[in-house]
Amino acid sequence: MQSCLTRRKFLTHTATGIGGLALANLLRGDGLLAGPAAQPHHQPQAKRCIYIYLEGGPSQMDLYDPKPTLNKLDGQALPESMLKNMRFAFLAKESARVMGSPRTFKRHGQCGMELSDLIPHIGSIADDICLVRSMHTDQFNHVPGQLLMNTGSAIAGRPSVGSWLGYGLGSESKNLPEFVVLVAAGRGIPGGSASWSSGFLPSKYSGVLFRNEGAPVLNVDNPPGITDEMQHRSIQGVTELNALRNEAIGDPEIDSRIAAYELAYRMQMAAPEVMDLQGESQETLDLYGVDRNEPKIEGGNRGGIGLFGTFARNCLMARRLIERGVRVVKLFHASWDHHSRINVELPHNCALVDQPIAALIKDLKQRGLLEDTLVVCGSEFGRTALGENRPGFRVVTGRDHHPNAFSLWLAGGGIKGGQVIGETDDIAWNVTKDPVHVHDLHATILHLFGFDHTKLTYRFRGRDFRLTDVAGEVVPKFFG
Amino acid sequence: MAAANRKTHAATRLRLVFACAIAAFASAMAGAAEPVDFGREILPILSNNCYHCHGPDEQERKAKLRLDTREGVLGTGKSGAIAVIPGRSTESELVLRITSPHEDEVMPPPEAKQKPSARQIELLKRWVDEGAPWGSHWAYQPSRRAAVPTTRSGGAAIRNPIDNFVVARLEREGLKPAPAADRRTLVRRLSFDLLGLPPDGEIVRAFLADERPDADQRLVESLLASPHFGERWSRHWLDSARYADSGGYLNDTARPFAYLYRDWVINAINRDMPFDQFTVEQLAGDLLPNATLDQKTATGFHRNTLKNDEAGADREEDRCKVAVDRTATTGAVWLGLTVGCAECHTHKYDQITHREFYQLYAFFNNTSEKDLPAPQPTELDAYHRALKIWAVQGSEIEAPLTARLPTLLDTKLPAWERAAKLPVARWTVVQPEAVTFVTEDDETVLTAAKDHSIESTTGTLRSRFIVAAKLKQKAVTAFRVEALTAPGKPVGRSKAGDFALSEFSVLAKTGDGAQRKIELTAARADFSANSGAASESIDGMPNTGWSIAPEVNQPHVIVFELKAAEDFSEETTVYFELQHQAVGLMKRFRLAATSSASPVEASTLADELLAIFDTPPDRRSRGQQLALTRHFAGLHDDEAKQQIATIVAHEAKKPVHPKTVAATLVAEERKTHIHVRGDFMQKGDEVQPGILAALHAFTPRGGKADRLDLARWIVDPANPLTARVTVNRIWQSLFGRGLVATVEDFGTRGESPSHPELLDYLATEFVRLGWSRKAIIRLIVNSATYRQSAALRPELMDRDPFNTLLARQNRNRLEAEVIRDSFLAASGLLNASIGGPSIYPPLPAYVTAVGRDTSWPATTGANQYRRGLYIHLRRNIPYPMLLTFDAPDSTAACFQRERSNTPLQALTLLNDPVFFECSQTLGRKLSAGPGPVDAQLQRGFELCLGRAPTAAEMKSLQSLHRDQLALNHGDAGAALGAVARVIMNLDEFITRD
Repeated sequence: MQSCLTRRKFLTHTATGIGGLALANLLRGDGLLAGPAAQPHHQPQAKRCIYIYLEGGPSQMDLYDPKPTLNKLDGQALPESMLKNMRFAFLAKESARVMGSPRTFKRHGQCGMELSDLIPHIGSIADDICLVRSMHTDQFNHVPGQLLMNTGSAIAGRPSVGSWLGYGLGSESKNLPEFVVLVAAGRGIPGGSASWSSGFLPSKYSGVLFRNEGAPVLNVDNPPGITDEMQHRSIQGVTELNALRNEAIGDPEIDSRIAAYELAYRMQMAAPEVMDLQGESQETLDLYGVDRNEPKIEGGNRGGIGLFGTFARNCLMARRLIERGVRVVKLFHASWDHHSRINVELPHNCALVDQPIAALIKDLKQRGLLEDTLVVCGSEFGRTALGENRPGFRVVTGRDHHPNAFSLWLAGGGIKGGQVIGETDDIAWNVTKDPVHVHDLHATILHLFGFDHTKLTYRFRGRDFRLTDVAGEVVPKFFG
Repeated sequence: MAAANRKTHAATRLRLVFACAIAAFASAMAGAAEPVDFGREILPILSNNCYHCHGPDEQERKAKLRLDTREGVLGTGKSGAIAVIPGRSTESELVLRITSPHEDEVMPPPEAKQKPSARQIELLKRWVDEGAPWGSHWAYQPSRRAAVPTTRSGGAAIRNPIDNFVVARLEREGLKPAPAADRRTLVRRLSFDLLGLPPDGEIVRAFLADERPDADQRLVESLLASPHFGERWSRHWLDSARYADSGGYLNDTARPFAYLYRDWVINAINRDMPFDQFTVEQLAGDLLPNATLDQKTATGFHRNTLKNDEAGADREEDRCKVAVDRTATTGAVWLGLTVGCAECHTHKYDQITHREFYQLYAFFNNTSEKDLPAPQPTELDAYHRALKIWAVQGSEIEAPLTARLPTLLDTKLPAWERAAKLPVARWTVVQPEAVTFVTEDDETVLTAAKDHSIESTTGTLRSRFIVAAKLKQKAVTAFRVEALTAPGKPVGRSKAGDFALSEFSVLAKTGDGAQRKIELTAARADFSANSGAASESIDGMPNTGWSIAPEVNQPHVIVFELKAAEDFSEETTVYFELQHQAVGLMKRFRLAATSSASPVEASTLADELLAIFDTPPDRRSRGQQLALTRHFAGLHDDEAKQQIATIVAHEAKKPVHPKTVAATLVAEERKTHIHVRGDFMQKGDEVQPGILAALHAFTPRGGKADRLDLARWIVDPANPLTARVTVNRIWQSLFGRGLVATVEDFGTRGESPSHPELLDYLATEFVRLGWSRKAIIRLIVNSATYRQSAALRPELMDRDPFNTLLARQNRNRLEAEVIRDSFLAASGLLNASIGGPSIYPPLPAYVTAVGRDTSWPATTGANQYRRGLYIHLRRNIPYPMLLTFDAPDSTAACFQRERSNTPLQALTLLNDPVFFECSQTLGRKLSAGPGPVDAQLQRGFELCLGRAPTAAEMKSLQSLHRDQLALNHGDAGAALGAVARVIMNLDEFITRD
């Protein structure tokens, strides 16, 4: 990560040369991964965050935002006034027609939240979630949209939400990174690691990619032929010789290095335990659907085949990680980009994620973790009411990217469940009530963690940057 | 570490933080006798505290008060009170407001959460009382070459004028410089700083044995002359050039030839190209008179921008973003100014207006990109060698036919020609205006070749080509598609070399926007597969199509007849759509139209041959006659058929010309408008290319200013910034910290230089020495200041925690690439070859699988042990080890790397397969070397750290070795490998002392 050490950083972190980053860490006593760089501005309601990111732009009108009018208008053109000034990725707007939805919606929970037949399990947690039907963004292409959603800017190089939280909060765990990323790749995440990068913040705030099988983190396993005993003796040797050197040099940076090796060793010991699901009851495994059978799908699925188990394990891993003090877990699944074959691939993707996501909420709740764990489930934008008729598409079977209105939900961590925020017009084209911009979402997330989004800043290139750029309003309705 | 121990350290450091504030205060007091320096001391206070609302930006200005001009400061705001009355601080509104105890009066207002310190308020008062002298920001003033100060101490502490400046300052503070580092440390420091490699044993031994008085300088000279010098210093530059081997965004398209620019930098630095020329070639090499390919390659600097080629992205938006990045990066790299802050509005703190940003932007708006063929000498050599051999073989293979054709011409041609049934239709090749390739997820723009054929670049099925063209032809009766191939090569992209054209359709769009489908009634092909009739390509069913198996190694033709003849005027654009659903894509195809009467034939007879037929025999050249003979011989003469088959087989083996291209800039004029609030769609006033008024004069060569004028303005010796900014970065690379700590910001919000006279001395010396990078580095590393010991001085920890006064050298953790190089070098695995395509050290698949491009063609053999600098830098999947050690991710220019210290680094050093292999290799080498064990341990330690172990260290090594030997059941190599692994994990191994 590029980093330009400015005066502020010299004063807040102290700098290299005198042992720099070690200071904050050692002052904190144990959490060596990252010390907080800021103090919360008010009492936080959330302490940890699980962010489920369904890459590609799931269709809101097929999942969260029922629009019976769509079927009535099926095959008709939209008035020109609605299309003017709209930019689409592929859709040819002159000839596009409204596409109806075959989905049926049902009321769920005591709150009576209307949700699609594709997500019955999420329906079962309706009373815990706050569904926002009035999200909107500025970006209509994947990478800029994902960057805006994940880093608050459509231009690469800014810190991700998880990195900002780490920067503000520091680590809770003594032996795991503070920000972990789990990926069920599907066809791959367009922006790659930019979505969990620490941008211009120090690289220690970067998300660490975990796997849910084998060695969970790169280099966490001993090299071939090295037993734990040998490894331990080697680390002891490193510590001893570093300490001897430090007697002559007296550089606090060496103390930091010694401590980092201790923590690395602890991480090596702890990581396999996180991965090991032996201790989980069959009931829990079944709740997440770890061993579900995956239905066959004709013609393949861009969201991936053979990922039912992977995604379920990732959700379970997310709970295990935050239980062990990890601050932020980001779960990715790609792709929900249904330009075509939406009625085949969307049901398959929903079957893939519906049960494990609902299970995660239930599991957190029954363990008393939900109240201070914020869970967010969303994507970079929604999809068009118009069927996609890009040049060359003979049959219209999907929807294009739509930035004006989309849905996303949150739970736990101070969120008031069982409510729907915002409304859209009859075809989910524009927001008609309580618009929530991506910056507003970020402002609210930071608020839940005790931060005033205008004050959590970092000086880079002569400017005080913040997650919400120059915009963002906290949405009090989220927490009631 | 024990808890108690930790507490002690914590306490020490708490003291440090306090000390830091005290030190700052003390140093301010030390200068109390001298008058306040406006540019260095006052302007930053005003800028940081006042300019957000009372600065250059009109739109943000409050109370009509501006404090960034002398008139403003001496004037009144809305309240009517005079901000500053020179000489009378107690009556000046500025001072009164800043010191006001009332919440509704005090400035900055409480909600700004910004307050000048007591010391700063004191300075402001003194400045007013001293008459409030005005001046410009220090960095905008020309460098002044102050007299080299005299110092009381002399001797070893003063080796060149740098030391006079540093020691004079230390003496003012009552301090002494640190003693010189010992020679072992010095050679190691120099080797890391100049080459980015640990010194090899031979160099150390020779240096330690060299007793000549100028041994040190000789060492410096030999390092400066090493070709590895260019590698080391190119990496610093590549950070600011945001160099990468891919384009970022969704596709993260590989840039396989980006290395040409990287190698240009290495060579330029090795040749010590003067920095002014280095600058001009990178910003405007293409505009130099008679520009060479090398100079054009240099413009690759600004081709390193990210590029959004996601399907459906707005191309103009991305082009503007790229130009903005080039503008901001140029400002940051050479001027050290945060020019980018003025993209959306006038700079809040520095003198850069919104309009000026777009004047600079105009230089880059008037720029396009061009990929120039740039085959490398070695590639060309290999190609030409192969071609020569191939041609020689070819003429041998051709000889029998060449001999036979003239006889056939005389004896057979007339009869053959008489009997020949020639097709009636004559074709006009369609010249595509735009070609797009659309897949289910993506869209790519293709370019037609010179012969107007179109080549597919991928084999993605369920896709279509859309070819737009203006036919300007009357009474068109049919279209033709030629599926082309090189002699003997497959015509389709399926595994079997097959293709299937699922659907072919044509759309015409007239000038008024009306569009209609051109109806096609019949399709005929020269050949069709059993299940793949020509008509299936116009049957409206995408799951059927025209196919040509098994005749895959030759060209084919299909023609489509129109329902009625059509006139296509100049205003009409015709869109051809070729859809491929299954089997495979055509590799290369070409479109044509005819106005001949139907029915038209699907003939594979080349248009060129037809033209010969149409020429009366007596007007044909001998060559044309031979060409016809060859055509017929291929059909009717058995012997010639055989010979032609052999020739075709040989043709298929023709060596391919290297495709290497250099990414360069070229001029292309456009209108430039201010983008209102930075939005490219909201165009404000038109502006012309121009520079920043706050800086020196601009004298373009004439006419409209271009990038070359800009580049020359940047390196004009009158420019107060470029030389200062550059020597400051060089200083940072040699000390770990710049004389101006904010290396990226020389504006009013940046830090003032710790040694302003020294900075100016170096800046003027840089220009005087002909902008020679090596000369300025030589000057610095030969100074006593550079050569001081880096040992911490506990007595100074309180006074000067950041070592601003330079009372010692700094201990710096090595950069990511240098850590890798050190492991490889110490183990002996290092492949020290320079330049060429980037490498892919092996990585686990799950790491590379998160992006769209999951291919990671692992480099094998000796190439995988090349220096870190050469690791393929894919923006979406940066090489984890480099990132873990704070290498930049190349999204934006980086001027200073973090030097973090994390457990992930420990895991990497311990367990990364490359590093593990290095330690094991070293272990085996030690074990194979002469004994006894103690000597082996000692040798390993010295090899890695450049010094002998102390007695206590030796004891620790022995005990470690004993235990590891037992754990490894007496395996001597493994035990020494374990020891080597420990040594290579030491803080000292990855630190430059």
